[in-house]
Amino acid sequence: MKDNLSVVGQNFVPVYAAKKSDGTVKFPADVSLPGMLWMKFTRSPHAHARILEVDTSQAEKLFGVVKILTYKDVPRVLFGPYKDELYPLDEEVSFVGDSVAAVAAEDWNIAEEAARAIRVKYEQLPAVFDTEAATKDDSPMSTLHLPDSNADWWKDTRRNNGDEKPTNVMGGTNEKPTWVNQRGNLDEGFSQSELIVERVFHQAHVSGVPHEPRGCVAIYKNDQCTLWCSVQDPFKVQSAVAKVLGLPKESIRIVSTIIGGGFGVKVLGRFAVLAALMARETTRPVKVWFTREEESLDSHNRSALVHYVKAGTKKDGSLTAFKVRTYMDNGFWMFGGLGENIAKSICTRPMDLYRKIPNVLWEVLTVRTNHPSTGPYRGRADAESHFAVETVMDELAHGIGMDPLEFRLKNRIHPGDPLCSVPGKVMSAVGVEEAARQGAETIGWDRRNTIANSNGAARKRGIGMAMVIHSCGSNPSGSSEARVEIDDGGVLSLFSGTPDQGAEQQTTLRQMVAEVLRVPLHTIGGNNADTSNCPFDSGPYSSRTVYCAGIAATRAAEAMKQTLFELAAEKLEAPQDQLVLADGFVTVIGTPSRKVSFAALVAANGGLLKTSYRYNSKDEVLFAYGFAAAFAEVEVDTGTGEVKICRFVSSHDVGRAINPIIVEGQIRGGVSQGLGYAMSEGFRFDPRTGTALNQWFLDLKTPSILDIPDIEPIMVELGEPTHPFGAKGCSEIPYVGVAPAIANAIYNATGARLYELPMSPDRVLRALAAVSGGGH
Amino acid sequence: MSQVEENKQSEDPRRFRNIELSINGQGHTLQVATTWTLNDVLRNVLDLTGTKRACDYGGCGSCTVLLDGLDAYSCVTLAVEAEGKDIQTIEGLSAAPEPHPLQKHFASTYAAQCGWCTPAMIMSAKALLDQNPNPTDDEIRVALSGVLCRCTGYTSVVQAVRDAAVELRGGR
Repeated sequence: MKDNLSVVGQNFVPVYAAKKSDGTVKFPADVSLPGMLWMKFTRSPHAHARILEVDTSQAEKLFGVVKILTYKDVPRVLFGPYKDELYPLDEEVSFVGDSVAAVAAEDWNIAEEAARAIRVKYEQLPAVFDTEAATKDDSPMSTLHLPDSNADWWKDTRRNNGDEKPTNVMGGTNEKPTWVNQRGNLDEGFSQSELIVERVFHQAHVSGVPHEPRGCVAIYKNDQCTLWCSVQDPFKVQSAVAKVLGLPKESIRIVSTIIGGGFGVKVLGRFAVLAALMARETTRPVKVWFTREEESLDSHNRSALVHYVKAGTKKDGSLTAFKVRTYMDNGFWMFGGLGENIAKSICTRPMDLYRKIPNVLWEVLTVRTNHPSTGPYRGRADAESHFAVETVMDELAHGIGMDPLEFRLKNRIHPGDPLCSVPGKVMSAVGVEEAARQGAETIGWDRRNTIANSNGAARKRGIGMAMVIHSCGSNPSGSSEARVEIDDGGVLSLFSGTPDQGAEQQTTLRQMVAEVLRVPLHTIGGNNADTSNCPFDSGPYSSRTVYCAGIAATRAAEAMKQTLFELAAEKLEAPQDQLVLADGFVTVIGTPSRKVSFAALVAANGGLLKTSYRYNSKDEVLFAYGFAAAFAEVEVDTGTGEVKICRFVSSHDVGRAINPIIVEGQIRGGVSQGLGYAMSEGFRFDPRTGTALNQWFLDLKTPSILDIPDIEPIMVELGEPTHPFGAKGCSEIPYVGVAPAIANAIYNATGARLYELPMSPDRVLRALAAVSGGGH
Repeated sequence: MSQVEENKQSEDPRRFRNIELSINGQGHTLQVATTWTLNDVLRNVLDLTGTKRACDYGGCGSCTVLLDGLDAYSCVTLAVEAEGKDIQTIEGLSAAPEPHPLQKHFASTYAAQCGWCTPAMIMSAKALLDQNPNPTDDEIRVALSGVLCRCTGYTSVVQAVRDAAVELRGGR
């Protein structure tokens, strides 16, 4: 960690904040072009069907309809964010809301009316909704092997199975899970256990609900295509559009500079590819902008899950064995949602956090169904697993009469421990104990009820906690490049490929550059996430921007400093080790009058100075993780089942906060989304048809300003040795601990355990009834 | 394409009306389809894209504007209904030479994270502060409860409104 920092670690007003507050920032859907058409989709009412016929004749007759595309009119080219697996439109529909046809018209109302006027004849196919039934040999398949399909993903679904028996289990078979984490000897572990807890957990399918619905404006001219597109992965969109249009990548420009929330879910989809195709077909600009229903369902949600957990401990608090079988409802996409990748993290990361558990068997079956697609959403994989793990930890601790905080810390990971989540890598710094102890002190952990349900009041108070691990950006996949430039006016710019989806990463990255090059933050310009002038970045996911792009920006700035010193050494006739930077000048130590401006050095160079750095973490052995502890104080109304969140303390091992106001904002925002996951959100699907019943905004039940308290963030700054400024990403991990902390607080208040998300009042009442023997 | 042309409905079935809208103190004479919402007209006809849309049915508040000084959802207000009303949008505030205190404090407290609900939050807060220059935190929360935010957890939003109120009262 560096000392004497003047920009890093300080609160600065985020660089895009003023434009966001005066409404002048242009989100993709805010772009309007002369002659622009509006595109809408016809969507499937069936969860699984083959399209037999699409009759567009009535729709085509409508005034103002310009073009209709069905699967017969689009290139039969596969694309996808992670594997090429989707056609722009297909003859098979795989969930209620899947796209069937696209209509371009003169206005939004006409396009919508025409989309409804398209008549589609379907052959309905058996649909798969129940993940456990889907893994039986007599289950129908959630996808067809289309006769003309040459998709690699289809071949993969049948791999590892000698007779090529089809399966709904991704990357496995009906007998073999998608991913297994195994260590030690489970039977031995349970035989040593002095207390064993066995529980089943259910978690609902939830949407990320970015408030900006996905939008895209496409313009096609002279075999060049530009898309303003609300996605987190502009470079993937660039590759996909190029592939489908049959053009070189350089002919495609994607602009995703500022998007209205992402949370992991806004990735490449059909909407972007179809906007490009429609713009080519019509030779006019095309805008597509999702409704809320489309944003809810044609997205990447968090999967519904079932966990069967059995765990054992000794009375001294040493965990002996941990066994889990998880069914994950992946929805329709094969690899687009990274279902296998999520499975791996689900079964390994919590077992890294509790590295001391000697005997583990955790199996995950990622099951392809005909529900909407799922994928990485804030807290990816760890929000999926920690509710079950942290509830069981709490039960075990109470069962042996140990402080749940001390029980967790006794079994935790330490620096230097090998990681089962990233084989071959070794744990870097661990600040989880400091975070947990500071959080405990802030909430007043000692105030908790020593025996749950110890009072008989109608409203009962309790305190609960959870301890969690999550990615902080130390990511073995993906890469980030940053470029620093100084122009002939001496103006410094940073170019990064990562969109701002609300985390104000450009502010944080520019702070690192400003620190290295000793210039005021506000003098740094540049651009981000425009493929025409920004270098490659995999995008803001896994909380990786501060870490990966931060390292890239810092190294690019350091390379610039070196370049400036080399040029200045000649100009000032002084050795490089006698030079320092200050306010846009290079000066000689001790003689401030001997100085040369950045602009003069650019001139000496004969024009623009440019340095860049591409960061790729694959070679490092040390691996960083984010750690946090969450503490909730609740008041349960035992008459209505309502749970009031009185206080919520979210304590984080952040390494170092580059801009504390942003970090605190990310913590509060993450907790507030986690509160929705814990208490109120979750799709209800009609079990016969697979139709979502609550995809509209009010029914999504995201927390309002009246639902949540002032969340109390804590930032523990111990410094991460693998990052030049000691920083770790922490915008997702705040989400992860919320549900289990509240579940454990409800237990502390009432003695009732909740095993299902969301913890809605009806479920709380049922749990209360279970502990009081039917009445309360 | 040729088939499309042949059978095409030749007349525009949309019903248009000429209306006068007063937006940010400026009169606009417009021909609008009767099905167009105020949000459609602001965004798609007048290019006043500071006003957002996120749900289309009054469920989230991202489209909030002021109608005669009160906060209203522009996505469930037909354009023809807004005739004769004083319509204020975020662009009205931004036209001033200096940012409005609400805009300044939303920026400095990081209450504008992704920025999508920000114009709506600011307009809703303006409706509050115009009527109640010294609100309690509870009054701020109730007044802003018609606008949802997915990013902030709301603490910074309440703080921004509180700070703006202090500045508007001259620091008292």
